[in-house]
Amino acid sequence: MRKQRFTLWLIIAIFVVAIYSIFYFKLFFVATKQEQSVTVILKSMNVRMDFWQAVSRGAEAAAKEMGLELDVQGPLQENDADDQLRILEEAIEREPEAIVIAPIVDERMPKALAKVRSSGIRLVVINTLIDMTPTPVIVSNDHLEAGRLAGEAALIATQGIPSVAILSDYENSKMSDERLTGLQDTLKNYKDSVQGVYYVNDSEEKAYRIAEKLLASDKAFNTFITLNESATLGVAKVLQEQKKAGQINLIGFDSTVDEIQLLESGTLKAAVIQKPFNMGYLGVKTALKLIDGKKTDPITYIESNVITKENMYTAENQKLLFPFINK
Amino acid sequence: MPKDRGFRIPLFPLKSIQSNISLAFSLLILAAIVLTSLVSYQVSVDAVERNSKGYIEEVIKQVNMNIQSYVDNMENISLLALTNKDVKYYISDNSFISSEDRRTYEKRISDLFQSILYTRKDIASIMVFGYNGRFVSDRRITSLNPNAKLQEQTWYKMAKSEGGKSVISAPHVQNIIENEYRWVVSLSRELKSTDGITAEGVFLVDLNLSVINDICSNINLGKKGYLFIVDNNGNIVYHPQQQLIDSQLRTDRISDVIEATSGSSFVANDGDGKRIYSVQDTNFGWKIAGVAYTDDLIASKDDLRNSIVLYSLCGLAISLLISIWLSHRLSKPIKDLQSDMKQVEKGNFNIQTEIGQMNEIGQLGRSFNVMVSRTKFLMEETINNQESKRKSELLLLQSQINPHFLYNTLDSIVWMAEQRQHEEVVLMTSALAKLFRASITKDQELVPIRVEIDHITNYLLIQKMRYNDELDYVIDIDESILEYKTLKILLQPFVENAIYHGIRNMYGIEDGLITIRGREVNDQIVFEVVDNGLGMTPEQLGKILLSKEESNRNQGIGIRNVNERIKLYFGHEYGIQIRSEIEEGTCVTITIPKLE
Repeated sequence: MRKQRFTLWLIIAIFVVAIYSIFYFKLFFVATKQEQSVTVILKSMNVRMDFWQAVSRGAEAAAKEMGLELDVQGPLQENDADDQLRILEEAIEREPEAIVIAPIVDERMPKALAKVRSSGIRLVVINTLIDMTPTPVIVSNDHLEAGRLAGEAALIATQGIPSVAILSDYENSKMSDERLTGLQDTLKNYKDSVQGVYYVNDSEEKAYRIAEKLLASDKAFNTFITLNESATLGVAKVLQEQKKAGQINLIGFDSTVDEIQLLESGTLKAAVIQKPFNMGYLGVKTALKLIDGKKTDPITYIESNVITKENMYTAENQKLLFPFINK
Repeated sequence: MPKDRGFRIPLFPLKSIQSNISLAFSLLILAAIVLTSLVSYQVSVDAVERNSKGYIEEVIKQVNMNIQSYVDNMENISLLALTNKDVKYYISDNSFISSEDRRTYEKRISDLFQSILYTRKDIASIMVFGYNGRFVSDRRITSLNPNAKLQEQTWYKMAKSEGGKSVISAPHVQNIIENEYRWVVSLSRELKSTDGITAEGVFLVDLNLSVINDICSNINLGKKGYLFIVDNNGNIVYHPQQQLIDSQLRTDRISDVIEATSGSSFVANDGDGKRIYSVQDTNFGWKIAGVAYTDDLIASKDDLRNSIVLYSLCGLAISLLISIWLSHRLSKPIKDLQSDMKQVEKGNFNIQTEIGQMNEIGQLGRSFNVMVSRTKFLMEETINNQESKRKSELLLLQSQINPHFLYNTLDSIVWMAEQRQHEEVVLMTSALAKLFRASITKDQELVPIRVEIDHITNYLLIQKMRYNDELDYVIDIDESILEYKTLKILLQPFVENAIYHGIRNMYGIEDGLITIRGREVNDQIVFEVVDNGLGMTPEQLGKILLSKEESNRNQGIGIRNVNERIKLYFGHEYGIQIRSEIEEGTCVTITIPKLE
């Protein structure tokens, strides 16, 4: 009787040890994943394009954190659709687990992206919303929200009495259109808040002339909102020349060195800036989620920040305004 | 109690001892191997982790020393400026320097700074700001950023508040020079006048942040590992993912690092994976933390585990084979013993089991052998006893003269005497006398065939005389076999049988004839007793062969007994054969060995 109980316990103990060991090893086998590879295709790989360089850094940060193999590519010229399509074609042939792409707008692009999918490669589109069915997973800056932030900055600058002239680039630009919609969304509750929307076609000079004309007119407006850099610089030039910097508010987007100086001098009241690093990081992380078959949001929005003269040298904003450490 | 017997698991569920032993061995070996491999794996992993901790600590120390050397260098430059007379004069609050002289002072100081800068690529700029509004930099022409107010710069304020001690700033973008935006780490220090009390300006050295960045980003702490620096307030000095932390997309154990003492390390294990934080303090208030992922650092962890699994599988296979072999060896003598026992069970007592080693099984085998031989001896003894008993019984039987026969013979003699047939009376009486003599000579079991033939002749003579010539006989014995031995009174029962069953009931249809032949055939002696009587049906034949002596006591020794006797004396290959046909007669063949 006693002996048998002992044997029983012995057998149970052996079983427990065996099961424990199986689980122990199994957990490790699961934990050690195969090395995954992700290819990121940007709009441009030009080292002078800070925005895309920051995206690339973000992607690298994610790759290092997740321990995956990363390949970042892109055409040298920002709008070289042919080159980007060629790069995409090559990437498909290499068969990475996922491709993260910031597509250049081109009519051939949806077809090329469909091919990515049909090759069994996970697809994440960053920076742009794209017309494609089924809609791919998107990681993009929230331009609508950016427009709203600019509107709010205008409200603060004008103490709640906005009277705004908006300078956009092209009528068909999707990004500018969204920013505009966001802006109008914020300002629509204020009477006569939007004095007019002007398109300056990415030309500093045209912006300069329109601003000059507007200032000369008797329209009572107190704020310029410029949706791209060249418009900002053109308007700023007029304001500085006419010594109206500070009196007339200027609110812009993005952060080139010129704009930073305008911010420092106070000519530019506020700048709404994107976070390209985060876009690259989240783009790759989303791709990894798709690879692992986890649930992903159909659209991940990257928030924007409003930078003013006062907060531009905080630890956080410095990093956003000057993403790179010069040698 | 016996009821719950069925519910118990048997100690060893398998049938044979061998499989039970192998099972037990295998389970024990399996347990031992699993346990040892787990332990050794754990121990190895621990060892590797410990080594990695040491390695990280070493790396962080190295980083610390590197950064420290840059900071020391800035410190030295600041001391140089501090002690430089030109600088002192230049920023001192007196009108001692005329505006013409000012230019030369500026040039001299700028030259000094420049020469320092030439030797040090890591320094971005060196500047002095006097409280008198004058300033000099390492550049010939210094134009300050009109939009950056000197008094609002953190490094400026800090230097003033520290009053002479050098201050290291967090990395920041230096925007004091027009059109320049560089990431730097600033060392600033308030300069005192010659009396050492009056503050006269602030000295600034900027270290290119790229230097620290390069040091930190080039550190290899495994594939995913990284290094970060925080200051005492928890502000990030360097972190590869600072922007993500700012945007709350990532968190790191910054508060844990601040609390950790220099040289210590701790392990964090959360959603990001198990990792080791190793913390070092710098002399100027920064904390450097190295982060290494264990699964990443221990690149050979998989190999380690795989090889351990492989080795334990090999070990398991080998030990299983050994356990099967061992149990086979242990159980083989038992099996052999068992098969020998089976032989004994079947009746073969000539078995002696082989005895290997003198262990328990050997002793068992020896006892078995003793037992078997003893049994064999006893059985033989019993058989012998039985045989001799039987022989003496048969001897007793054969020595008896059937009383009916005696009575009938005497009756015949009386009848012949009344008829005055004296010669016949003499013949018959003498034949009877010879018959008796032969019966009562007990000393010899075996007699020459000649004696037996004499005996049967006498018997037949008596019978012939009794049956008044209804019976005739022929005795045809080969002369050559007369001297061989035979059993006493071998033929009489058959002749008796032939007369009583075959000839007596013929009622004169034909004269009865009994023929006795004796020949040597194939080195054996074969007798034939042939009659021409009624013959027997197979049933009758069977009855005669099987009938016990008791049932035909009045007919002398039974045929069955004769057969038995032959077999007892000469062996099983000898005996009798009877052929009989109704109306034709019976032929009995008796085979015995040729004995001298």
